[in-house]
Formats: sequence, C-alpha cells, structure tokens
Amino acid sequence: MIDPEKISKDFPVLQSQPIIYFDSACTTLKPRAVIEAERQYYEEYSGCAGRSAHRLAKRTSEQFESARERTAKFVNAKTEELIYTKNATEALNLVIRSFNYSKRNKIVTTVLEHHSALLPIMEQRRRGAAKMELMKTNSDGTFDESSLSSTIDRETALVVVHHTTNTTGMRAPLEKIIKIAHDNGAAVLVDGAQGVPHSCVDFRKLGADFLAFSGHKMLGPTGIGCLVGKSEALAELDTFIVGGETIETVKLDSVKWKKAPKKFEAGIQNYAGAIGLGAACDYLSKIGMNNVEEHEKKMGKKLVEAIQSISGSKVYGVPASEKRCALASFNLSGVPPHQVALMCDSLSGIALRSGVFCAEPAAESMGFGKGAVRASLYLYNTEKEVETFRETLGKIAKLA
Amino acid sequence: MLCFVALFVLAFLSLFSAKYRPLAARAFDCVTKKVTLRPCDTGLDDEIKAASIAGIMKLSPSAAGFLNRHFEAFSIAMTIIFFASLIFTAQGVYNFVVYGNCNGPEGGFCIYNGLQNKAFLKAPGSLDGITAGNASSKIVVIEFGCYSCPYTKEAEGKVQSLLSKYGDRVYFVFKPFPIPTHPYSMEAALAASCANEGGNYWEYREALFANQTAVHDGGDVALLGIAHQLNVSGFDACYASKKFEAFIRQTEKEGQDCGIYGTPTFFVNGKPFVGTNAGNETEAEIEKLLASQ
Repeated sequence: MIDPEKISKDFPVLQSQPIIYFDSACTTLKPRAVIEAERQYYEEYSGCAGRSAHRLAKRTSEQFESARERTAKFVNAKTEELIYTKNATEALNLVIRSFNYSKRNKIVTTVLEHHSALLPIMEQRRRGAAKMELMKTNSDGTFDESSLSSTIDRETALVVVHHTTNTTGMRAPLEKIIKIAHDNGAAVLVDGAQGVPHSCVDFRKLGADFLAFSGHKMLGPTGIGCLVGKSEALAELDTFIVGGETIETVKLDSVKWKKAPKKFEAGIQNYAGAIGLGAACDYLSKIGMNNVEEHEKKMGKKLVEAIQSISGSKVYGVPASEKRCALASFNLSGVPPHQVALMCDSLSGIALRSGVFCAEPAAESMGFGKGAVRASLYLYNTEKEVETFRETLGKIAKLA
Repeated sequence: MLCFVALFVLAFLSLFSAKYRPLAARAFDCVTKKVTLRPCDTGLDDEIKAASIAGIMKLSPSAAGFLNRHFEAFSIAMTIIFFASLIFTAQGVYNFVVYGNCNGPEGGFCIYNGLQNKAFLKAPGSLDGITAGNASSKIVVIEFGCYSCPYTKEAEGKVQSLLSKYGDRVYFVFKPFPIPTHPYSMEAALAASCANEGGNYWEYREALFANQTAVHDGGDVALLGIAHQLNVSGFDACYASKKFEAFIRQTEKEGQDCGIYGTPTFFVNGKPFVGTNAGNETEAEIEKLLASQ
C-alpha cells in the first residue's frame, strides 16, 4: 500500500506551499530524485553522448543509455525498441507520419482521442496519404465493442487508440482492439500518455506495435517522451526528423540510415530529460506500479463519490467504472467550469484544470463541448485532500 | 463587461509596474474582441469573477451567491459607474487646474482642496502691509501675493472689484510675498513699496500686473520705466537703496510662518482661501460675515 503523506515529502512543490495538486493529468509534480538526476547531469558531466571520447561524454553516454535501458524495462520493452522524443505528441506524430500507407491507407481511431493523436491523422487525411475512420463510441465514453470488427478491416493500415483517456480516465478495450487489428494485418499505436503513469503497462503483454508516452506525466522532466515499438514495426517506419546521429554513411547521392532507435533520434538529445525520466522510472518502480494502480483505483472511487455527493454535479464517463484511474471530469449545474476551477484555487488552493482538455471532439461527443472541470490525482494525493475538495465544491455549488 | 474597467485600471498600473502589462494586454484583447462583437476568450472576465466571488464567499456565502447570480448586471453597473466617475474626475481636475476649484467658476465644496493643505495655514498675527478700505471694520481681508505671479495677477481683477464693492466696510491688507522662482519678484515688491511711499501704489500695482511679462523680461528697466511714466515721487532713490527690503523680508517671513505655499492666499478674518478662485471664495465669505453683522 502507498502512504501518500510520506510520498508527498519527496516533492519539493508540495513542501514549499499549501497546495492540493489535482492536475496530474496535465503534468505531474517532480520528486527530488528526478530533480537531482537532472542537476547532476548539468553540474557534474554535461557532455554529449555517442560522439566525443572525453570523460564527460563517456559518462553522459553511460547515463543516457542506462536511462534508456531502465525506461524500456519500466514498460517491459527491449532497450533498442525505445526511441526518445520530446513528448508523447511527437511520438504519435512520428508513427502516424512515417507509417507506410502504400498498401493500405486506412487509419482507424476514435473520437475520444487527444488532439495529439487525432490531428496527425487528420493531417494525413488532408494530404491524401490516408483515410480516417472512427470506431463507434457511446456518449458515456465507452466503446461499442460489437462494431469493432466492422470498422477494423483488411483495408486498415494503422489503429490509433488511447490506453486511458485524459477526459474521463477510462481505459480502452485494448486487448480486443489489438486482436482484431492484428487478425486483419493492421498495426496498433497506443497513446499511453495517461496509461503508462497510472497503471502497469507491459509492452510485451499488451501486444501493440507502438506505444507512446510522455515523461512529464509520470514524474519525469518536461521535454522528454518515448516511442516504444516492436523492432520489426520500427524497421518499417520511414524517417521522421533527420540529421546528426541518424545515419551510418552519407554520400551526396545516397544515405544509409542507422537502425532504430538512432534512426529517429536526430541531433543532440535531451540528455538531462532522458536521465531524469530514468530516475522517475526508478522512483515509480521502487514504489511499485501495482501499488500505484491500486492507490489510483481507491482514490478514483473516492473522487467520483465526492463529486457525486454534490447536488447538481455531473461526472462524465462511467462513474463507477473499474477501468477508471483517479481522474474525473465533471460540471456543476449553474457554475461555469472555469469559475469552479478558479474558485477551488482561490478558496482552498486546489489546482484543477478546466476546458476541453485538448480533446474537443471527445468533449463534444460526451456532452461537455463548452468545457468541464477535471480533477486528476496521483500517488501523492490523500483522502483528506479529496475531502477538502468535496467541501469546497459544496460551497461553490451553493452559488447556483 | 469588467474587462473595460480592467483595461483602464491595468493600463494605468502598467505605467508603474511591468507585472500588470500582460494582464493589461489580455484586457485589451478582450475589449477589442467585445467591441468587434466577438466573444472574449482571454478568460480575464472569468478570473475577475472567480476572484471576486471567492473573496466575498470567505466573508458571506449568501452575498457571494447573490453576486454570482447577478454578476453580469453588477458588471454593467460597475462599468457605467467607473466611466461616469472617470468623466466627472477629469472634469473636476480640469476645473481645478483652470479655476482652482473642481466645481468651476461657481466654487463650492471641492475634494481636491485637501491637496492644498489649507489645514496647515495659520492666520498672520499682524496687520502690517499695504492697506486700503475701512481701518475700523471688523472684517479684515489679508492677501499674500506676488507681483510676478500669474495667479496673483489673475486674481487681481477680483481684488479690485472687492475693493470697490466693500471698500467702506472691509479693511484690506496686502502683504508682499515674492516667490523666488518668479523673475524679479523681489525687485517688483521693492518697487511697489516705493510707489506706495510716493503715493502711487494702486496705479503702480495695476501697471505691474498689466506689464508682468515686460517685468519678467526687463527687470529693473521695466520697473523704473513704469515708475517714470507714473511720475512716482522719490522712486529712483528709494528703489536704488532697497529701502523697503526689511519690510518685505518681514512679510515674507510672516507668510512662511503662516505656512503660505502659493499665491495668492487670502485670509478673511483668519479663514484661508488659496488659488485663483480664492477671490470668489473670499467674496462669499465677506458676504457671509456682513450678513451676520
């Protein structure tokens, strides 16, 4: 079991000010271990990896590759299957834009996706490179699983789907989707930005071809993300951003590209970010992702109960879903969402997000196109904080 | 609606502190969108609303509820009040600068009079000075003035009308108070005192104010020229010897002790009136005193 009171002591932001941080789906707070790892890089050995031969460069290479190994291990992937990107958005763009649509050109996705997944697909459609088709979903954010087979067919090149949505915190039926996709010869790209930080994600067990996630949503630094891909799937991808370190040889009339991951890591990398993310993976592994997931389920249940205890509240998605992490989007009748979020901050120092959470079509499909409030918790949040949140919401609800 | 008020307030604050500039820019963006009939999407209105209601909620939840339900009407009312206040304030400042009273030539209570620190003014203890009117009158008007001061000059017309209207019922004392920043103020005071000795004070005084610019430019030459035109007896010797310097230093010192900070300053039976509109206020006070006799 997790002791969030004890864990919160590892987070300088929580120790420096009275704040209840319920915006972890946007970005999480950073523990001292991560800050220290980045500090060490900048203060003790800030060289560049894989190029120079001096001691700083060697130590940078060692730490950078060690971080890659630990981060890959965190999601049970092979080291060479992990490509560093600047965030999940870039990882999603990398696959969607570099995928080979010459034989099949249909991309299947859902309306529930984050703009970071949806927009690259729409761009491929605009350029005429691929078609886009949506899996059927319901207004409560669940999938119409009976229609999956008819949507994912032999024309499908790529299925792009979330692990856990950032709007309701609910999980997609990945096992089923991946099986149908593979049965039809399609590849699957999973947006793990919300899933990897909050649940046990095992890339091998998952069976997807690609998995994208961000460092800053899992206690790591901003500016670092990962694409994990099966070696054979990565080999099929075209180049994305090219430059130094991506090639074996260059002649003016020909280029021999390196294999993944180097093929996709052009230029000097975000070493500090990668090393910081490695430290974040170590921190989470030490606590145990099983424990994190268990804490999330418990807190998610309490969070939804707290919101539902307020008269005039509406929680989006399936409130009692077992597949929900500690995240809930909601509205209070008669009080605009921005006002709710701002007042929670003013009254009780509760940090929330309001709006459509970079998922406008998803928000519209679930009935909150004009916005909602989102509370997203993590391993440092306590039941006492949820109770304060409930009391504050109660006061705000009386304004209507 | 509050973004209109916010723009004015934040733009003003931005003159003094850079931290308000991003907020002012958001308010400007919001105002621009509203006047072009587009929705304001800066979120500034929401932030102001949330902060206001949260602040009031800590004091009174029911008042916060009322404000929340009627916030748009409240915003419109606040905006109208703000701009009306702004217009009235600008009008008042204009009147204060031009007439010395925020109500304009009519006079009356003016909140800016407090800026003049009249509370610190003390009535002079003596009646030494250049005098006119009824010496036995119980109503005494004392003017501290500077012959080189444009405001003393501006009030002179009123002074003359008071003398002709109340000369038989009021005792008038003029105490020279040369302001050092005005050119040849001391010299003009010396010259006027010499003219007083020569028996041509009021003509000389009238000519001094009428030729104030010439005195500013010409100094001694202009002062002597006026005296020669008026054939003031014994002027040259009096002026050359600075005969009345001690007297002027005395009235100057007396004015400083009284806390005089600008000319003209009038005292009507010890009650001070300052500025170009002070003549009108002096007249009103005289009328009041005469009525009570």
